[in-house]
Amino acid sequence: MLVVYEKMGPHRFIGHLDLQRAMQRALRRAGLPVSYSQGFNPHLLLSFAAPLSVGIQGAREVMELPLTREMPEQEFLSRLNAVLPEGLKALAARALSDEAAPAMARLAAASYTLVPEDHLEELAAALPQFLAQAAIPYQKRTKSGERTEDLRPLVYNARVKDGALEALLAIRESGTAKPEQLLASLCEFAGLSLPRCLITRTALLDERLVPLENL
Amino acid sequence: MSRRLEALLETVQRPARYTGGEVNAIQKDWAGRTTFCFAFPDTYEVAMSHLGMKVLYEAVNREDDLLCERAMMPWVDLLEGLKREGIPLFSLESRRALSDFDAVGFTLQYEMSYTNILTMLELGGIALRGAERGEEAPFVIAGGPCAFNPEPLAPFIDAFLLGDGETATSEMLRVIGGGRKQGLKREDILRKLAGVAGVYVPALYEPTYHEDGTLAAFTPLAPEVKTPVRKRMELDLDAAAFPEKTPLPFTEAVHDRIVLEIMRGCTRGCRFCQAGMLYRPVRERSPEKLLELAKGLFAATGYEEMSLSSLSTGDYSRLLELIGSLNACFQDSRVSLSLPSLRIDNQLQEALTDTAKVKKSGLTLAPEAGSQRLRDVINKGVTEEDLVRSVTEAFENGWSNVKLYFMIGLPTETDEDLLGIADLAKKVVACYFALPREKRAKGLKVVVSASTFVPKPFTPFQWAAQDSLDEIRRKQALLREALKIRGVTFNWHDPETSFLEACFARGDRRMADVLFRAYELGCRLDGWNEHFIYAAWLQAFADTGVDPAFYANRERGKKELLPWELADIGVTRGYLWREHERAQKGHITPDCRLGCEGCGLRRFEGVCLP
Repeated sequence: MLVVYEKMGPHRFIGHLDLQRAMQRALRRAGLPVSYSQGFNPHLLLSFAAPLSVGIQGAREVMELPLTREMPEQEFLSRLNAVLPEGLKALAARALSDEAAPAMARLAAASYTLVPEDHLEELAAALPQFLAQAAIPYQKRTKSGERTEDLRPLVYNARVKDGALEALLAIRESGTAKPEQLLASLCEFAGLSLPRCLITRTALLDERLVPLENL
Repeated sequence: MSRRLEALLETVQRPARYTGGEVNAIQKDWAGRTTFCFAFPDTYEVAMSHLGMKVLYEAVNREDDLLCERAMMPWVDLLEGLKREGIPLFSLESRRALSDFDAVGFTLQYEMSYTNILTMLELGGIALRGAERGEEAPFVIAGGPCAFNPEPLAPFIDAFLLGDGETATSEMLRVIGGGRKQGLKREDILRKLAGVAGVYVPALYEPTYHEDGTLAAFTPLAPEVKTPVRKRMELDLDAAAFPEKTPLPFTEAVHDRIVLEIMRGCTRGCRFCQAGMLYRPVRERSPEKLLELAKGLFAATGYEEMSLSSLSTGDYSRLLELIGSLNACFQDSRVSLSLPSLRIDNQLQEALTDTAKVKKSGLTLAPEAGSQRLRDVINKGVTEEDLVRSVTEAFENGWSNVKLYFMIGLPTETDEDLLGIADLAKKVVACYFALPREKRAKGLKVVVSASTFVPKPFTPFQWAAQDSLDEIRRKQALLREALKIRGVTFNWHDPETSFLEACFARGDRRMADVLFRAYELGCRLDGWNEHFIYAAWLQAFADTGVDPAFYANRERGKKELLPWELADIGVTRGYLWREHERAQKGHITPDCRLGCEGCGLRRFEGVCLP
């Protein structure tokens, strides 16, 4: 079963491991036909398409789990939602065929909205020139130190609309752009101080830029 | 959530500790209700591991006219942020300042959390001293094991509850809420609180001292005040409040699982153990009730693990029956049962392997002392044969990790007793190698931990001196050398914390000045090594002219009035002194289930075992 869920409001402060645990416990409370791993300490099988950084909201996040028996999507959804708190509700459920590739493997991009507290007009003005650059180098911190990476090929699209910066960013094994980095690089380009900013991931998309749940 | 708070939370570590809104958290409307904030003087992870908070949260919220919310000690980053931004410390449910509540209640689990209480009061906008609180200020109440020696906190706490809080907390809240509705003055409400069974109101007593610094008397300042204050007891645990739905932390707590309190109290009578005296008499919950509670808690939380809680789980009279019914009930939903491995005997082992539900995390044993002589002194009814049998069985059953807990600085201890710890460790290692190679699990690991003994009130050792810091350090060094054994790791702690614990555990009201001064000097989160500043505490003693050795390292006389003797815990002074004398002679006292030892609980009709 593929489940689309939200992680909004104060729930944006929950870390990824904590969210995994919270969802596993919710599935257990709901008494759904979940599967467990083999072995001495069996754990509930549940995988997430993409972890979300602490502080960022998710409007349509995706997780998947194998069930031990088939179940109508609507029944699954209503039983899970009966035990989930507001702001962390399941929005859709899709039964998957056994052949379906895991969501994590199909993931290619994600769309975001960024609502900065100030500088939006200046950022809008700087955006076309920012995107026109051939390369946008930035320092990426990794386990083995810092190295320079190019952000530009990972930014598929960005625009300012309805008081927010909307961005379509790569999120794949070969390269991932973080929305915080986009904002930081854009501010640096425009000579602005980094504003406080509420970020929401609005969709997880596959290679066709179609939401993962639309198989 | 206010924009300022939200912005602040974006900058701190693990912000989910402060957002509330957990599954099963209870948010009630404030209109017309008496409001109570349960304040835990340590971080969220510690607080959410604590069963007592969950019990009282349920017990108070169950009452329609009352509400209970939670607040915890923020970590340093948020603490400094709150100060900088001028945001008061708030409850997790309604995010109101602590000062908005009718009452704020602290649980006193260990002495090193006392500076956190002062920190939380100040951050919450409440005057630190009871005498400085106005008519609008909340009543600050406290309970828990350390409330049995309330004096070091006397100026800061309006009323202490001694003993079980399931029904008494609501009674106290009704006196406070009812008094406020009637327009009573603060001091009148305090007097009424003193009339609630089990409640000690320190402002209504005045201690006086002899020239040598020892306590002369506690003089009651109001006619309705009782001395001593007898502790509260919930005699029927099946009827007592127990959480049916516990708030489920989003961010992992230290102990994050279903906890079933199967029994309260202990009959073994170890002479160092304060809990064993404070929580008498022994009371059991029935397996039927526990199964019902466990089912409800699983349905409400989805937890993966369940543990049984008591002072001595092996003594629960229907343990096998309980384990069997829990395992049968939870096999399909994959809830693993974790048991303290302290007293795993063969019979129990069989019951466990039947369902293979116990994780082989390691065997933990607490001989507490290295020689039979000293184990007799402390009345720890464990012999070397018991130990050898337990570890051999454990090794035969596939364990290879053993933890051994000891205390150093016990009364009458000699170097010979200490070296006995190393002998025991060697014997455990020998038990492992005595098994044929193919029968034992690989990777023997024996961990010996030695904590520093802290004499506690209401124990037969309440008169004893704690070893000086230098003596403890010498003993630790001796053990370090003696425990250089292959397969054995030795753990010990710096003794300074235990020294301060000893000062507060048996302190009087003058220790409150030291506490306040240490707080002024920046002490907080003293239970966290990285934040403990011993030099500041020494400065606080020097500045207030209080001698810490008077509290920690002085042997008390038989006739001395002790600061905690304002409380009656059921166990009498006569029994404790008798046990104290038997200890000096190395005479053991059997488990009182085998025959009454006259501890004093039988003074109260129907309280103790028949």
